[in-house]
Amino acid sequence: MSFFDIFKKKKSKDVAKDRLMMMLAYERASTKIDNLEEMKKELIGVVKKYLKVKDIEIKSSSNQDIETLEVEIILEK
Amino acid sequence: MAEVITVTSGKGGVGKSTTTANIATALAMLGKKTVAVDFDIGLRNLDMILGLENRIVYDVVDVMENRCNLAQAVIKDKRTANLHFLPASQTKDKTVLEKEKVEKLINDLKKEFDYILIDSPAGIESGFEHAIYLADRALIVTTPEISSVRDADRVIGIIDAKSKKAALGEEVQKHIIINRIKPELVEKGEMLSTEDVLHILALPLIGIVPDDEEIVKSTNLGEPIVLNEKSLVGEAFRRIARRINGEEVEFLDLKSKKGFFEKLKGLFT
Repeated sequence: MSFFDIFKKKKSKDVAKDRLMMMLAYERASTKIDNLEEMKKELIGVVKKYLKVKDIEIKSSSNQDIETLEVEIILEK
Repeated sequence: MAEVITVTSGKGGVGKSTTTANIATALAMLGKKTVAVDFDIGLRNLDMILGLENRIVYDVVDVMENRCNLAQAVIKDKRTANLHFLPASQTKDKTVLEKEKVEKLINDLKKEFDYILIDSPAGIESGFEHAIYLADRALIVTTPEISSVRDADRVIGIIDAKSKKAALGEEVQKHIIINRIKPELVEKGEMLSTEDVLHILALPLIGIVPDDEEIVKSTNLGEPIVLNEKSLVGEAFRRIARRINGEEVEFLDLKSKKGFFEKLKGLFT
């Protein structure tokens, strides 16, 4: 890459790489949990004991060495 | 000790059968008794790439169903010493394979051969499960394209889940083969580079194969390109075979063949 490339717009392969990394971070996490639906139901069951739950959304992501699971509990108004 | 190597990919059409045919031929050329087994039931292709389609009498399902013995079904290549081939069946029923029968077949092959190369069907359905179940090593073929890399990632994610070795707590070796890379496009930044693909898939590389029109010709003729000593693609596959055989070999230095004008332009852009 030469000095002038800094002023050029992003190469298509960089776009491809970014899109892939985003997609895979999502897909890898969702395939890791075999029984995602089951877990969701059980979670709703537990939380329902204490709160009025509308839905639970589970998002997972992995970034280098850290994997996180984000559980969003949507309550009834 | 025999080694079972499964050649697989997520996406179809990335060159799995060509890769299997060439690596098997190259391993045979190294003096190793090798058999290439086509597990793509219903969609056999390896026979034509190897140029052995006219010699098929029995197939892999015939062996498993005891309609013939192994020696009757295995075809010995007359051009390349040590190379053997076991064709897929053309039956429409893809679910014909059974785990126990597959296991018996592979174990029988292990007694006879140094290397057993299995050409797996694309995708993650039952055919793939059988092809990967007994693998000691998986070679994942991908092209440097988004859809191919994405599907490769999915396959990599389930290899261990489907492998007997992994279930026993042992490791299935996994390696990436990047096929049909175009150095000119990579240099322009318009194609994912080897480093990009490896960064995404996070597995070691065992081969980079450049895109070459010669492959079309070799498929037309039914002569694996590794038989052509001058071919760069052939060299790429020969090096993969040597690496499988435990040798440390440098990766091909793939640079585009730039003319003078291109080089000059390169200085100013």
